[in-house]
Amino acid sequence: MRNNKSSKQYISFRYYTAFLVISHILVFIIICSMTSCSDFVEVDPPKNTLVSETVFEDAATVESALANIYYNMREQGIVSYDICADMGIYADELDYYASNANDLSLYLHSVTAINSNVLSYWTNAYSLIYAANDIIEGVNKSKALNADEISLYKGQALFIRAYLHFILTNIYGDIPFITSTDYVTNNTISRTPIQDVYDFIIEDLNLAVILLDSKVLTDERVKPNRATVNALLSRVYLYTENWELAEVTSSLLVDEFELESDLSKVFLKESKETIWQFKPDASNVRNTYEANSFIIQVIPGNPYALSNVLLHSFETDDLRLEQWVGRFSSANGLTTLYFPYKYKALLNEEESLEYSIVFRLAEQYLIRAEARAQLGNIIGSQSDLNTIRNRAGLEGTTAASKDAVLEAILHERFVELFSEQGHRWFDLKRTGKAGIILGSVKPNWNPTNVLWPIPESELELNLNLFPQNSGY
Amino acid sequence: MKKTFVNKVVGPLIYVLCVTIALKSFSIWSSPLTNSLKVNLVQQKYKISGQILDSNRIPILGVNIHIKASQQGTYTNEDGAFSIAAEPSDILVISFLGFKTLEIEVGLKKQFTITLEDDITALDVVNINAGYYAVSEKERTGNIAKVDSKIIEKQPVNNPLGAMQGYMSGVDIIQDTGVPGGGYNIQIRGKNFINGSTEPLYIVDGVPFGSESLGVSEVSAGINNGNISPLNALSPTDIDSIEVLKDADATAIYGARGANGVVLITTKRGEAGTTQFKMNLTSSLGQVSHFLDLMNTSEYLELRREAVTNDGYGALLESSAFDFVWPDLKTWDQDRYTNWQKELIGGTAFRNTAQLSVSGGSEQTQFLISGAYQKETTVFPGDANYKKYSIHSNLNHSSNNERFRINMSANYAIEHNQMPRTDLTNMAYSLSPNAPELYTQDGELNWENNTWDNPLAVLDDDYYAEINTLMTNINLSYLVLPSLKVLGNLGYNNYQIASYKLLLNTSRNPSFGFTPEGYSSITTNDSSRDSWIIEPQLQWVKQWGNINLDVLIGTTFQSQTTDQLVIKGTGFPNNSLVNNIAAASELEIRNSSNSEYNYQAFFGRINLKLKDRYIINLTGRRDGSSRFGPGKQFGNFGAVGVAWLFTEEAVLKSNAVLSFGKLRGSYGTTGSDNIGDYKFLSTYSVTGNDYDGTLVLEPSGISNPFFGWEVNNKLEIGLELGFFKNRMLLNTAWYQNQSSNQLVGIPLAATTGFSSLTGNFDATVQNTGLEFDMHVQNIQGENFQWTTSFNMSLPKSKLLEFPNLENSVFASKYVVGQPITIQKLFNALGVDPDTGMYQFEDYNNDGAISSLEDRQWIEDLAPEFYGGLGNTFSYKNLSLDVFFQFKKQKSYNELKQQAAPGLMNNASVSFLNRWQEPGNQTPLMIATSGFDFNLIPSRDNYRLSNRTISDASYIRLRNITLNYSVPKALTQKLALNVYVQGQNLWTLTKFKGPDPDQPSYIILPPLRQIALGAQIHF
Repeated sequence: MRNNKSSKQYISFRYYTAFLVISHILVFIIICSMTSCSDFVEVDPPKNTLVSETVFEDAATVESALANIYYNMREQGIVSYDICADMGIYADELDYYASNANDLSLYLHSVTAINSNVLSYWTNAYSLIYAANDIIEGVNKSKALNADEISLYKGQALFIRAYLHFILTNIYGDIPFITSTDYVTNNTISRTPIQDVYDFIIEDLNLAVILLDSKVLTDERVKPNRATVNALLSRVYLYTENWELAEVTSSLLVDEFELESDLSKVFLKESKETIWQFKPDASNVRNTYEANSFIIQVIPGNPYALSNVLLHSFETDDLRLEQWVGRFSSANGLTTLYFPYKYKALLNEEESLEYSIVFRLAEQYLIRAEARAQLGNIIGSQSDLNTIRNRAGLEGTTAASKDAVLEAILHERFVELFSEQGHRWFDLKRTGKAGIILGSVKPNWNPTNVLWPIPESELELNLNLFPQNSGY
Repeated sequence: MKKTFVNKVVGPLIYVLCVTIALKSFSIWSSPLTNSLKVNLVQQKYKISGQILDSNRIPILGVNIHIKASQQGTYTNEDGAFSIAAEPSDILVISFLGFKTLEIEVGLKKQFTITLEDDITALDVVNINAGYYAVSEKERTGNIAKVDSKIIEKQPVNNPLGAMQGYMSGVDIIQDTGVPGGGYNIQIRGKNFINGSTEPLYIVDGVPFGSESLGVSEVSAGINNGNISPLNALSPTDIDSIEVLKDADATAIYGARGANGVVLITTKRGEAGTTQFKMNLTSSLGQVSHFLDLMNTSEYLELRREAVTNDGYGALLESSAFDFVWPDLKTWDQDRYTNWQKELIGGTAFRNTAQLSVSGGSEQTQFLISGAYQKETTVFPGDANYKKYSIHSNLNHSSNNERFRINMSANYAIEHNQMPRTDLTNMAYSLSPNAPELYTQDGELNWENNTWDNPLAVLDDDYYAEINTLMTNINLSYLVLPSLKVLGNLGYNNYQIASYKLLLNTSRNPSFGFTPEGYSSITTNDSSRDSWIIEPQLQWVKQWGNINLDVLIGTTFQSQTTDQLVIKGTGFPNNSLVNNIAAASELEIRNSSNSEYNYQAFFGRINLKLKDRYIINLTGRRDGSSRFGPGKQFGNFGAVGVAWLFTEEAVLKSNAVLSFGKLRGSYGTTGSDNIGDYKFLSTYSVTGNDYDGTLVLEPSGISNPFFGWEVNNKLEIGLELGFFKNRMLLNTAWYQNQSSNQLVGIPLAATTGFSSLTGNFDATVQNTGLEFDMHVQNIQGENFQWTTSFNMSLPKSKLLEFPNLENSVFASKYVVGQPITIQKLFNALGVDPDTGMYQFEDYNNDGAISSLEDRQWIEDLAPEFYGGLGNTFSYKNLSLDVFFQFKKQKSYNELKQQAAPGLMNNASVSFLNRWQEPGNQTPLMIATSGFDFNLIPSRDNYRLSNRTISDASYIRLRNITLNYSVPKALTQKLALNVYVQGQNLWTLTKFKGPDPDQPSYIILPPLRQIALGAQIHF
C-alpha cells in the first residue's frame, strides 16, 4: 500500500518534471518567436545567385556579366551560326534537305508570324540587349569601379546593344530600340522607325569608339575593341549609304589589319585578318558550330548544301571553290552535295583550331570598294576588289563602269562571304535586288518578304507593336 | 450527344436509387401484413410478452420479433410492447433497422425486457482528422472528405493519390503516366489561380511534406515527364486514412497554404492487444488498356505516295538519288508490317509487393513496425524496373494517468527506378508500319543502312534514379489541468534524389560516327530537400452546463532548404566507364542551386458548442513567408464555420425516418505563396558556363519587391442528412471560391529581356460547385451485406473580373465570364471540296484567317461533372467491391497531334477518309508530306481549331475487388484473406485517343492492372 502510493507519487513527479521541461521549451520558443518572427522569414539570398547591385561592385563580376553576353551570342541567335544557316537558306546560298517545318518555311519563303525562328531570334536578341543595358546602367551607378573600368565595360555594352539592334532592324524593319532595363516602359514600347534606329546605333557606336581604346583586349581577339566598333560602323555606313564615312572607317581597318594571303589560313584562330571572333568552350566544344552544322559526312546528315546558284557563281580557277567548298558523295555515287567548308575542324576534335569569326578584313575591303565605286572612285574601287580577287587566284576585274563595278562587288561579296553572318541576304535586301534574284529561285517570293514578321506572340503581348509588317 | 451521356450516367444512378429505396421500404413495411395473418393461426402455443427498449431506456415502436425458422412474427407497439405465442425451444429473432439483431432463446421465461444495442453508423464515433485538431463526423463544421485504409488497401497502386482517385467529391485526380515512378495531378475544387499550381498542401502525420518534384528535365523529361512524385515514398498500405480539407472552415487554419486545399495523410498505428503479425503478398499484371486503331502497311504506303505526289515531288520518287528522303517508300520492305504498339508498349508489367508488419502493445504503449518491398516492371521491352523498399514504424505511449502522451512515427523509403531514357509510347504510335526489323540476325540493333533511328536504342541509354525519403514526427501532449493541454508537434523530413541519364554513342545511328569520346555522356542530378517544423500549441477545453468551449492556440516555425546539383560528364575513353562520372574528361555543372524557404505563423481555433446542437468554429492564422520581400511577408487569414444539428431539436429528435440532420456553413480567407523562392530579388545566376575563361553570370530575374499574398475567399453551405438510423447518409455541399490578387508570372514582352515577372494581378477567378456524397447500407443482414456509396461533383469556373483584359497579355487566352480553362480556337468549317484545304470561319470578315482575331471559338477543357459509384457486397466470407468512376469532359483528340495526313509516321485510320480529288466531301484535308508550303497554314491552323477537341467523357470500371476470408476452421489460428483486384478494367468512352484523362501521344497511358494477393494475420 505504502509502496504503491510512493510509486504513484514518483510517477506524477516524473511527469511533473516532464511537463516543466516541455512547457519551458514551449514558452522559450514562443518568446523567441514573438521577438524574432520577422527575422525568421527573412532569408539570405541563395548561394548560387548574386543580387544585381553587388554584381557592379566588382570588376570581376562585371566581366562575368559581359562574358554571359558573348557566350550567348556564340551559342544561339542572330550573331551565331544559326543566322549563317537560316539566312543562307532564306537567300540563295544554301539548299535545305530536311523537314523541320520552321526551317522549311524559311527555305520555301512561307514564313508566318508563328514561326519559331522568327520568335527565337527576337527574344534572344532582346534578352541580350537587356543584359547590355543592365551593364550600362550598373556601371554608371557603381561606386567601386574606376573610370577606366567603367569606360571599358560600358564601351563593350554599347557596342553589343548597337550590333544587336542593327541586325534586328535588318530582319524585322521598324523595331523597338531599347535603352533601359525598366520593364514597365519596355513592356509597352512602340517600334522605332528604321532611320531612327540607325541614328541610335551610330550614336552608341560613336560613344563606344571613344570609350574603347584601340588596344586589343585579348590576344585572340575574342572580345570586341575599338577596331570591332569601327568594323561595325563601316558596315552601318555602308547599309545607310553614307559612302564617305564608309570609306573613311573601312580604311582605318584596312590600315590596321592585314589579309591572310593563304586562303586556307583565313578561318584559323590565328588568322591575321580576323577583327572579332567567338572563342569556343575550352572544354567539350573546341571548334566551331559552323563546321559542325555544315560539314556533310553522311546522308541524311546535316541538312544544308550549297545551292546551284552559288556553286555556279564561282569563276573557274577560283581557289575559294577548292578551299572553302566541301563535297560529299553518297556511297552509291548517285547523290553529290556541296557544302560550306570554310571551317574544317569539328567541335569535338582534340585540338582547338578554329573560332567563329564575326568580323574579318575582307569584308572591309569590299565595303571600301563599294563606297569608292559609289563615290566615283572606280580605280580605287577596282583595286580593293582585286585585292580580294587576286588572293583567290583570280585575275583583276574587268568591270569598268560604276554599275558594272558595283555588280562585280555584289558578286564578289557572294563568293567571298557566303555562309557567313547572313551577308548574302542582307546584301540582296539593302541593294534592292532581292526580288530580281530570288524571284527566280524562290517560287513563293513576295516583295514583302524583305522583312520578317514581328513574332505573333509578341504582338499579343504588346499591342503597341502593331501594325504587323505587311504581307503577314 | 449530351443527352445520351446524361442518360448513361444518370440512368444507372436513378436505377440504384430506386432499388435502394425499394429495398428499404420492403424491409421496413412489407412484412407486417403477412406476419400478422400468421399470428392468428397459432393460438395453441403459450403467450409470451415483453418490451423492447433502446440504450436510453426508451421504448421502440415497430421492432420486428419473429420466431426463428418459422414464418411467425409480430411488431412492437408505441410502448415498445409485444406479445407472441411461442414454445420454450423457440428462438426469438429481434430486429430493427439501426439496431443490432438479437437472438434470444425463449426458455421458461414469459416476460422479457430487452435492450437493443445501436447499430447505427455512429457519426459521433467517426473521428475526422482536421489537422491541428480532430472532430467527430457529427460535429464538424467544415467540409472534410475522407478515405480510409479499407478503400486504400483495395487498390493496386503505388501512390496514395492513386488510391483516392474517384472516391472523393470535389477532388479531381489524374495519373500522369503509366510508367512506374511517375506522378499525379490533383485539383481540389478546380483551378483557382491563373498561372499558379493546383498542388494542395500535403501534411503527413502533422508535418508538411514538400510534394514538388525535384526531377530535372535534362535527366528525367523523357521518361517520367520530369515529374517524380515524392509521394511515391509512402506505401498506400501504410496509410490509415487520407483526409482532404476543402472549405474555408477546414483550411483557414493552414492560412497561406490552404488555398488549394489540404491533404492530410495519417499513417497506421499499433493497437493494444496480443502481438499481431500481418503479411500481405500481391502480384499484379499491368497492360496498356487500349491500343489505337492505326493504318496498316498498304494503307500507309498508299497515303504516303499520294502525299509526296500531291506535293509535286512524284517525279523525284522515281529517282533513286532521293531515296534517303523517303526510305519508307523506297528502301524499306513494302510488304512488311509490324504492330509497333504491340512491339513497344504491348508487354506486361509485373508488380510484386510483399509487406510484413508486427504490431501490438499494452494499454499504455503500442507499436507498429512494417516493412514492404515492391518491384514493378514496365510494358516496354527490356528489363526496366522500379523497386521500393520501405519501413514504417509507429510508437504510441501514454502515461498511467493518461496525462502525458507521446506518439512517434517514422517512414523511410528507398526507391530505385531504372528506366529507358525515353518513353517509347510516341514511337509506338508513330513508327511507319513497314519500318525495319529491330534486330539483325546477329542480335545487334538494326540500323537498316542508317535509314532510321532504331527505337530500342534508347533502352541502352539508362535512366536511373535512387530516391531516399525520410519522414519523422513526434507529437507530445501533456494535460496540465483537466481543462488545459500543452501540445507539441515536431517533425523532420528529408528527401534525396540521385539520378542520372546516360547517352551512349552506340545508341545513335552509326553513320553519325559518334565515338564514346565525342558523344557518350552522363548527366547526374543530385538534389535534396530538408525541412523541419516545430509547432507548440495550447489547448483549453471547458464545459459550463450546455456550453462547450474548445480553444487552441499555437505557432509554427518551418524551414525548408532545397539543394540541386546537375552535372554533365563527357569525354569517356569507352562506354564501360560512362557510369563512372570520375572517368569523364570534361565535367560541366549544368545547375547548382540552393534555396531557403522559411515560414512562420501563429494560429488559433475557438470552437463553441451550445446545447449539443449549435456549433460555431472560428479559426485564424497569421502567416509570414520568406518568399515575399520586406514589408510584404505577413498576411492574416481566418474563417468562421457554423453548424446546426437540427435533428437534436425536440421536434425532430425521435423522427423515424430522419435520424440525422445538420446544416452548416462557412466563410473565410486562405492564401497562397506558391510561387517559388526569391522571386522578389533581382538577381544574377551562375550558369556553370564560361567565356574565354571568365565565368558567366546571367541576369536571372527582374525584381518586383511589391508583390504579396494571393487571396482566396471560400464560402460554403452544406446539408448533411442521415436516414433510417443513419443507414443512408447524404451530404450535399455548395461552394463558391473567389481567388483574387492573383500572383502570376505576368508574361512580359521580350523587349523587357524576360518572359515573365512575378506580380499580383488584379483578376478574380470564381469556382463554384455542387458536391454530393451518399452512403447507403442497403442490406445489413447476418450473412449478406450490401453497401453503396456514390459521389458526384459539378464544378463551374468563371473569370469574374479582369480589369483591362483586352489590353493585357492575357487577352488571347481568357474571356471575362468564361472559365480560365478555356481554349480560344478557330472554328473549322470542314474541307473545301474544290481545293482539299481546311476552311475556317473568318470572324472579323477581313478575308484572311489570322490567329489573333479569328480564334474566337471557345472550348472549355475542365470537366463538367465527375464522380464515382461503388458497391460492396459481402456474403459470409466473400466480399465483392465494384467501383465505377465517371467524368464528363472534353479533350484534345488525335488531330491535335497531326492535322494533315501524309507525314512519315503512322497515324489513325481516320486518315483514310481524306480529300483526294475535287468534289470529295471528307473530314480530312488533302495528303501532304510536309513539302508543299501552300498547305502548311491550313494544316497548322487546323491544329488550333475546334475540330481538335472531342468529347472525352467516360465511365470506367476503376476498381473491382473480390476478397475471400478463408474460414478459421480451415486455417486454425491463421486469418487468411485471398483477393483478386482489378484496376482500370473497362472504359466506356467515345474518345479515340490513348486515354480520356491522359490524351497525350507521348506519355504511356495509365495501365490496366489485375492483382492477386493474400493477407495473413496471426
